[in-house]
Amino acid sequence: MYPLTDPLTQQTLTGVFRLVLPEIVLIGTACLVFLLGSLYNRRWLWFLGSLLGVVVAAVVAGVVKTGMPPAMTVAPIIPDATAGFVRWLAIISAAVFLFVTWPEVNRTNAAEYYGCLLVTVAGVSLVGRANDLITLFLALELISIPTYILLYLPSQTRPSQEAAAKYFLLSILSSAVLLFGFSYLYGVTGTTNLTAIIEGLTKANAERLSPMSLLAVVMVIAAVGFRVAAVPFHFYAPDVYEGSPAGVVAQLAFLPKVAGFVALARILGLLTTDPRHLPFDASTQVPLLLWILAVVTMSVGNILALLQDNIRRMLAYSSVAHAGYMLIGLVVASSLPDAKGRPGVGGVDALLVYLVAYGAMTVGAFAVILFLSTPDRPVESVDDLAGLGQSHPITAGSMAVFMLSLIGMPLTAGFAGKFLLFVGAFSAPADTLTMRHLYQTLAVIAAVNAAIGAYYYLRVIGVMYLRSPIRPAASSRAIPTWLAAVALAGFTLFFGFYPNPLEKAARKAVPVAAGSRTAENR
Amino acid sequence: MYDPLGLAFTILGLLLGATVLTALLSGTVVLKRAAHWPLIIACGTSAVLAILLLLQVWKAGTVPRFVSDPITWFAAGKLTASVSLVVDPLSSIMLAMITFIATWIAIFSSGYMREGHRIDRGYVRYFAVMGLFVFSMCGLVLANNFLLLMGFWEGVGLCSYLLIGYYYDKPSAAAAARKAFLVTRLGDIGFLLGIFLLWKVGGWNTDLTALFDHIQKSPPDPTTLTTACLLLFCGAVGKSAQFPLYVWLPDAMEGPTPVSALIHAATMVTAGVYLIARCAPLFALVPDAQLVVAWIGGITAALAAFIAVAQTDLKRVLAYSTVSQLGYMFIALGTMGAVSPLFAVTAAMFHLFTHAFFKALLFLASGSVMHAMGNVIDMRRFGGLRRVMPVTHLTFLCGALALAGVPVLSGFWSKDMILEALQFGSAGAHANAGSFYALLLIALATAGLTAFYTFRAYFLTFWGETRVPEEAGHHAHESPSSMVFPLLVLAVGAIGVGVVAGPATHWFGDFLARTPSLRQAATIVGVAEPAPHFNWGIAGVSTLLALGGVGLAGLAYGNGGPERVPVAIEPVFTLSRNKLYVDEVYSALLVRPIEWLGAMARVFDQFLDALARLISAVPGFLGGLIRPIQNGLVQFYALAMALGLAVFLSFVVFLISR
Repeated sequence: MYPLTDPLTQQTLTGVFRLVLPEIVLIGTACLVFLLGSLYNRRWLWFLGSLLGVVVAAVVAGVVKTGMPPAMTVAPIIPDATAGFVRWLAIISAAVFLFVTWPEVNRTNAAEYYGCLLVTVAGVSLVGRANDLITLFLALELISIPTYILLYLPSQTRPSQEAAAKYFLLSILSSAVLLFGFSYLYGVTGTTNLTAIIEGLTKANAERLSPMSLLAVVMVIAAVGFRVAAVPFHFYAPDVYEGSPAGVVAQLAFLPKVAGFVALARILGLLTTDPRHLPFDASTQVPLLLWILAVVTMSVGNILALLQDNIRRMLAYSSVAHAGYMLIGLVVASSLPDAKGRPGVGGVDALLVYLVAYGAMTVGAFAVILFLSTPDRPVESVDDLAGLGQSHPITAGSMAVFMLSLIGMPLTAGFAGKFLLFVGAFSAPADTLTMRHLYQTLAVIAAVNAAIGAYYYLRVIGVMYLRSPIRPAASSRAIPTWLAAVALAGFTLFFGFYPNPLEKAARKAVPVAAGSRTAENR
Repeated sequence: MYDPLGLAFTILGLLLGATVLTALLSGTVVLKRAAHWPLIIACGTSAVLAILLLLQVWKAGTVPRFVSDPITWFAAGKLTASVSLVVDPLSSIMLAMITFIATWIAIFSSGYMREGHRIDRGYVRYFAVMGLFVFSMCGLVLANNFLLLMGFWEGVGLCSYLLIGYYYDKPSAAAAARKAFLVTRLGDIGFLLGIFLLWKVGGWNTDLTALFDHIQKSPPDPTTLTTACLLLFCGAVGKSAQFPLYVWLPDAMEGPTPVSALIHAATMVTAGVYLIARCAPLFALVPDAQLVVAWIGGITAALAAFIAVAQTDLKRVLAYSTVSQLGYMFIALGTMGAVSPLFAVTAAMFHLFTHAFFKALLFLASGSVMHAMGNVIDMRRFGGLRRVMPVTHLTFLCGALALAGVPVLSGFWSKDMILEALQFGSAGAHANAGSFYALLLIALATAGLTAFYTFRAYFLTFWGETRVPEEAGHHAHESPSSMVFPLLVLAVGAIGVGVVAGPATHWFGDFLARTPSLRQAATIVGVAEPAPHFNWGIAGVSTLLALGGVGLAGLAYGNGGPERVPVAIEPVFTLSRNKLYVDEVYSALLVRPIEWLGAMARVFDQFLDALARLISAVPGFLGGLIRPIQNGLVQFYALAMALGLAVFLSFVVFLISR
């Protein structure tokens, strides 16, 4: 029978649009903004228009109820709990970014800027629910392509042009590698549907390991490694973070990371309903590869961040280091097939909590930098923040909260995230042949790294409160950015004091982890 | 609104709200002058609500306990800390007492903390921290989770640090604040260890009610439980200033006097007694721990009473008397296994309750004296104040009579109850009956000493010729009405609260005995509760001792004037005046060796520092090595990525082809 005549397949394919309505709203708004932007260019207008689009998307996401498509092996979109989590994360971050980027937008580029931002966010949300290699690739490119424009758009200075060109070239390279990997996956399994690929590979690899599938997944890891800034695919990060507009960097530091980690978890089969059987379990050495990637990434990120005087380069390496911490989640999650008992903290839920916390603190730090930067007094080096404690007490307080959270101090969201990741690694099973005590070692290495990290974050706090400025920081009028920074600081503190709701949401977003915890404790 | 738990949450919300509001008032001068209002209003309203709450609990059915649905604060693995409140007779009595006393102290403070129309420099800070103090204490008594309780417990410690060190530019105040914080922290270490030990043996529970039920059902081995109980008691010893950690409390006098009243009467030191009373179902299981509690209480009571005899600082006399009276309460708690826990805990809590009234009164009255004397509190420098400050004199007298245990006043009834508990304990066939007999004798001796030193202070301050230090200026006068009125209210309390709640109606005992956790303890011990009756023997002996002490003090100091000590007992006085050389002994036995150890540690530390610097230079050095790779050339970056991919691929190929 020709597959398309199967009624379930038809039902699945026609029902797809209902599953991506909020994304359609976002991209539709973006198209409207692009089109009308050539007629009227007012910052306020497009700010409000985009905000309206985001709100409508949120309402649609909240109102429209969706069920699982009847035939998963042909469905290009999977509306599962993880997808829901990522969608809400994307929509909320869209609203935050609209506020954060306020001073960077001017009347000539407002429409393009906000349009690109909406498309990027829609891309992130789509990555969360892509169940097909083609949808996934499309969603990832929906993030990359607007980013090229955004990097170039706000300031056409030489450093920013250089940064944009570097990012463009290297991103294209990584996309090529990704496509290469995808083509192998297609070649091995004969389908582009992820559910079918994972099911097929799980069965096939359990009998006899297919080296081709392994090559494919290594290429995918390498390509996604570029998006999450994992070593050695991180090289663009410091140069791009330094040269590009701060608001765009804030997006670049957060959105591709969310997309990258979710995509990787999806492809590695960590988000399926049966994560006890993975296509790439410990016998395929993929967890070991991820382990090495995590260790190298966090160590190189932290060590190089130590040497930076430029605060943006410092934050770039810090984002590399945090990518390393987050990789722990994937390592732990891919150990589940070997677990005899049920681990207290799963890998992916810890990763999701960490992504949220990381987003709040990193975007917040960039928001503070953006707020304080004016054309005649830019904030470049760490020393430019000197005396901020006196001149801008609330801004400095927010920055201190972000830095403490990046260190992982208790009572900040960063601590909750690190705690879950480390506990996950510490309680992961150590009885497989390849991994042995590597999980505990990983937790220890991560803790040592966190200690190294404390040095350069604390330096920022020290400079802000203990040094007096040569030239005091400018008094900025970018109120929306300031509001966003303070709100993010409040968010960081709130989920530091009371991380339970966030934890619960993340646990719900990962089917198996929820089951294991309820079985054990409550 | 009339739901008990709703009331409890409202009270906490009000107090926290008042704290935040007060902190926000620091903006302008006009608002600063009004900084006392939020706290007074919040405390007053909470006191009314707490009394309503008490009535609700009173009217509740056979099991007067309301536990709020736990809100998970954080959870990790098996450890769950939840925000959960418990309202039962024990916590509602504490709550009503704390808020009631705090209200009057707050009103008193609004007068004390200003000189004429000039408010003190830290006026706003004072009321904000005081609000937080009362809030923490209310949270402490309401908490139904050990970790939550610990949180409020530390909150109380923090606030006491901030208030004792209120005059932070005065070195002695800063030192006293540090001492109070560090010494109580010493006990808190034990407390925290105890919590985790109980968590481990108590079925991974941290909620008090669940933990008690679990331990009652499946008791762990006695040694472990004894250890856990003694560790909890460590926390109580620190917070409630018991031997050997009592040394912080007398120094805590460096804070403003109303703060002393708050610490001594309502908020801080009662926390330890409350903790043991709350954990009665645990202590009931372990006689050894009970005995330790009783003996620590007995030693503290006698020691502190002896030291109080020769102190020349009025507030210090009162401070040592608090230490001594707290010792009494712990003695009563220690008899928990020999007599029914219902009776033992009731005796302790009743004494805590009456003590709160008369000790707050005594401190506020001495604050009133201090206010009039230009901040002089040395009894050698003033005297005969009864003509200058008639109201302060009379109210102080009420407090002193109550503290001395003169019949009919409140202190008499509660002290008798403790003596009675001891008598029951020593009369029974309990294994520790001998100890309780010795403790009964100690307690009686202490009662006599108490009457003596209280009235020594009273006569030295208020009798004899009127003498006023020059700091007071020429217009030593009675305090303003905002200070006098609270004194009058508390004086009525000090006189009447004992007889009204105790022997006349048995309200206090009957109500407290309905507390489910105490009933649980009583079931565990299984000793019948003695019927309420008046024990003439005990009452007679204690009355004689009290009157004897007062009379002796009257003979020696009735004429006022400077203190004349007969040569025969001069050495005893010297010993007492120098606090039995306890500070010196501590200094020689603990501080010196620790200082020496510290010096050694410093040398070792420098070595470690050098080592650490060496290690910490490693990341930087490594960074310097790999930094040149980041050369800014995009073609190199692309090459690095390709090489990275190649390495990964060959890694996997190598491993799987092995």
